[in-house]
Amino acid sequence: MCMKWRIAACLFFVFILGLGVPIKALAHGAKIEYTVNVAIELVAAYDNGEPMAGAQFVVYAPDDPSTPWLTGFCDDEGRFSFVPDTSKPGIWDVQVRQAGHGDIVHIPIGEDAAVTGSAGGYTTLQIVLMALCVVWGTVGTALYFSRRRRA
Amino acid sequence: MHIPDGILPVPVTAAGYAATAAVTWYSLRKINQQENPRREIPKASLLTAAFFVVSWIHIPVPPASVHLVLNGLLGAMLGYFAFPAILIGLFFQAVMFQHGGLTTLGVNAIIMGLPALVAYYIFRLRKSQNKESSRKTAVFGFLAGAVAIGMSVVMFVVILLTFLPADLDVGAERVAIYALAIAHLPIIAIEGVITSLLAVFLQRVRPELLERV
Repeated sequence: MCMKWRIAACLFFVFILGLGVPIKALAHGAKIEYTVNVAIELVAAYDNGEPMAGAQFVVYAPDDPSTPWLTGFCDDEGRFSFVPDTSKPGIWDVQVRQAGHGDIVHIPIGEDAAVTGSAGGYTTLQIVLMALCVVWGTVGTALYFSRRRRA
Repeated sequence: MHIPDGILPVPVTAAGYAATAAVTWYSLRKINQQENPRREIPKASLLTAAFFVVSWIHIPVPPASVHLVLNGLLGAMLGYFAFPAILIGLFFQAVMFQHGGLTTLGVNAIIMGLPALVAYYIFRLRKSQNKESSRKTAVFGFLAGAVAIGMSVVMFVVILLTFLPADLDVGAERVAIYALAIAHLPIIAIEGVITSLLAVFLQRVRPELLERV
């Protein structure tokens, strides 16, 4: 009789232990959720390389391109950043302006998102070559009409 | 000095195009009334090149950076040819240097072209009253160059301040616009001196180039 009680007590203890272990394991579990918030950093500079320090930026979300989604100022190096609402995929427009000068950059957010991008700007070599072509065109025009005048 | 795309509301840019079309038509009509309209084309063509290139050369005027415009020089040297010359120069500047924009081409042509025509009339004053002298050419050359760029700066500032969008920090933008205008004060003097020197030089070396203006 005494032996039965001992066996019963042991089984009960094992049962409680068996119940207890998973409870304890659940308490040590963890749940991680994540949402990707990609910050977009922009650098605004004039075409001579000088940063647009203190320039104002206006961000327009794709769902309402006429109402500013965010406004602010660039720092002394012409930098600023913002975290777009990823629930609004599409083309986000960012305008930077200072004293009537500035530019607009179109940033795709969503599946078409690109790591880097820029608005405007040719390399110096491209600009020099294009400028030479235009100057040659004007010189050619001048020479042509000078000849006609002498004839 | 060049207003880029996206700064002005669409009706303003459309009005700029309309005004530019009207002034271009009037200028071409005046050119066509000349005895030989082709005679001035080589000079106009070369000065268009100068106008086009000079906007790429930045002059640091702390805290801003500005560039020469030479619209007064074109007005004084070319007369009514100045407006189409500036229009063509602005088009190439917008396409190649991103100075200004295609939507604002009309507004920019008015900002820089109308003062050029004023410069033409100022420079013509040297022929009034007594005989043309080197000193009068120098003085009216300076006035033509300085007044034209000064007028352009005023028009640029007035247009920008009138059409400031409400969603900007208007106070900060206004301060930036005034700062840019003040940075152009040395340019007003420089353009006056350049126009004056070139006018006196041409009068001595090739006076026939200035006969018709």
